[in-house]
Amino acid sequence: MADDYTHIILADDDEDDRMFFTEAFEELKMNTSVRTFNDGVYLLDHLMKNEVVIPHILFLDLNMPRMSGIECLVEIRQNSRFKDMAIAIYSTSASEEDIESTFIKGANIYIKKPSDFKKLKKMLSNVVTINWQYQTNGLNRDNFLLRL
Amino acid sequence: MPLKSIYRAPWFVKVVFVVSLFIVFFIAGVSYKHITDLSKSQELVVQTYKVNVELEQILSYLKDAETGQRGYFITQDSLYLQPFLESRSKINNSFAELKSLTKDNPVQQKNLKELNVLIENRLENFDLVSAYTANDEHTELQFKMIFLNGKNIMDSIRVKLNGMIALEEKILKERQDVYKSDMKFTPVFLYSLIVLTLLLMYAAYAKISSNVDKLKRSNQRLEIFKEATKQSEIINKHGSWRWEVEEDKFHFSDNLFRLLGEKPQSFDHTLENFMRYVHPEDIDKLSAQVEQMKEDQELPFIYYRVVHADGSVHYLKAYGRSTVNAEGRVQLLGTTTDITDEIDHFNTLEQRNQELELNNKELAAFNYVASHDLQEPLRKIQTFLSRLEEKELEKFSESGKTYMARINVAATRMRSLIDDLLQYSRTNKSDEVLVETTIDSLIEDAQQDLAESIVAEDASIKVDRLPQMKVIPFQIQQLFSNLISNSLKYRSKGRKPEIHISYLKVLASADERLNNAQSDFYHRITFSDNGIGFDQEYAEKIFVLFSRLHNKDEYSGTGIGLSICRKIVDNHGGFIFAAGVPNKGATFTIYLPVS
Repeated sequence: MADDYTHIILADDDEDDRMFFTEAFEELKMNTSVRTFNDGVYLLDHLMKNEVVIPHILFLDLNMPRMSGIECLVEIRQNSRFKDMAIAIYSTSASEEDIESTFIKGANIYIKKPSDFKKLKKMLSNVVTINWQYQTNGLNRDNFLLRL
Repeated sequence: MPLKSIYRAPWFVKVVFVVSLFIVFFIAGVSYKHITDLSKSQELVVQTYKVNVELEQILSYLKDAETGQRGYFITQDSLYLQPFLESRSKINNSFAELKSLTKDNPVQQKNLKELNVLIENRLENFDLVSAYTANDEHTELQFKMIFLNGKNIMDSIRVKLNGMIALEEKILKERQDVYKSDMKFTPVFLYSLIVLTLLLMYAAYAKISSNVDKLKRSNQRLEIFKEATKQSEIINKHGSWRWEVEEDKFHFSDNLFRLLGEKPQSFDHTLENFMRYVHPEDIDKLSAQVEQMKEDQELPFIYYRVVHADGSVHYLKAYGRSTVNAEGRVQLLGTTTDITDEIDHFNTLEQRNQELELNNKELAAFNYVASHDLQEPLRKIQTFLSRLEEKELEKFSESGKTYMARINVAATRMRSLIDDLLQYSRTNKSDEVLVETTIDSLIEDAQQDLAESIVAEDASIKVDRLPQMKVIPFQIQQLFSNLISNSLKYRSKGRKPEIHISYLKVLASADERLNNAQSDFYHRITFSDNGIGFDQEYAEKIFVLFSRLHNKDEYSGTGIGLSICRKIVDNHGGFIFAAGVPNKGATFTIYLPVS
């Protein structure tokens, strides 16, 4: 992989959220390539292709039709090909149960979708610039939920 | 009290019986001996009199002989010799009689012998006189000599006889004296013995009758107890039974029959009869248990069903233990209870639980809707608003900008309402476990949550040392977080917010606010601030859901925060009270039970 892009994928069934997501990265002007999928099934179809470029960070919405974010998370974490891929949960709710179960099932960070576009940009930029090596090793329940 | 204790001893009556029996035998023996003695002494008296009579007789015979002999001497007529001739054999008879009467008295025997010699002499003297008289060859002088001699012998005989009679009378007197002294002492002795026996027997009688009274009272109590037990069996739906191990016989109480839906004592007390009522599916199990029971002489708790004649199924529970009865025989006492009601209640409870669980699930689903589905469109409205403000605000007119601002305020308020409601419904959870927690660190975390506002308002929070408590950590953190944010929100405009959290362990009985306390000791956490306070009349109202004391334009509360606080404290079995002084500050006092 010769390019210097940070490859980012978002799986979210909500059209508006996908739009906010891509617009935020456009405005951030970081060296990122963003792809979006409409649900978990499309996402996995894509990821399971042999010639696929494994993204650096995968953003997963939890509440999706056909295949939920948690199911995607479980499936992906079972596959060693994606062991270096960071998974960020990207959800409207931040209930204790969701945070707990996604943490246990191997997500790296939990982002509650903000209600302010500026905040969204700040969060996404934070996530992209995190030293993932450090974040993944120090699996820490306390800073799992991203706070700004 | 040795006498009393002897009287109370259980062997007392038996001992009295044996002693009385012994005394009666003794009295009988003594009486027999005395009667024998009496008759013996009677015989002795008779014997003495007989001896005396015989002695007098001998004298009288001699006198007869003397008289006859004198008649013959004077008249020469042999007719007068007749008594003299007869006297001889009569004297001999009397002598023989006397010999046998005095055979146990050697002195009298000796006297008799001497008397015999004297009598022989006298008779010889008579013979001499007779011979002289018949031959007529007597001289005056000779006669005088012979007569004198005869008189002397006669006198000696008299003296001898009198001596013997006196001796006999003396012996009689001695015997009578001994007998008299015996007779004098014996009745007193016997009388006292009888009195003693009567006393003992009276004591025994008193004891027996008091025992009988006691027995009667015990019987009465037993009767009452039996009746009470019967009633208790009916009320509590249990029956009792007894299995006599050696005879292999069963006894069923009245109510056991009722438990089987039958009239009391309506069939023979046998295992086979009982088994006829047992539910077909439970017969094998119960039979096996009964066999085991016969082996172990113990019946552990066993559950089985019985079918009544009307077809209804009842659940029974039985238990039995072996005891040894008064006669030393082993018997198994058992109790059987109808637990159909319990089972029904249990089933109802189970059903209710399921309903409740379903309700909880629905509530959780509602939570999710509230947290996710409602938040999502709102979040988008807010995001689009922020996009509009960022990119298009300049194009709006002044009123358009005002509308935008109002929309923003309304959306923000809706968000805080949804967030608070969600939090409120989350504190509903009853399955949270209490964990030993350092409260200080929970307060610290709460401050961390609100760090931004605390810094912004330049608030100072003073926290005393708090001990470890058993709490639901995230709820208690929420409690402090809500209280702190409450204080910050209702701060006084003129001064910096100051919050003081203090602690004291209190005795429930010593604190008048803890009337309904379940625990003996409580943790009392006092949370006070210097904010705007409130009128004391609203102290209770502020905990009610959605209740607010201020217009929402002045203060941005949702009216949920303090309701959450109360709910959290309720969840912990504690109490929360509010006290306020307008423009001085508010104090919240939290009591949590010491576990």
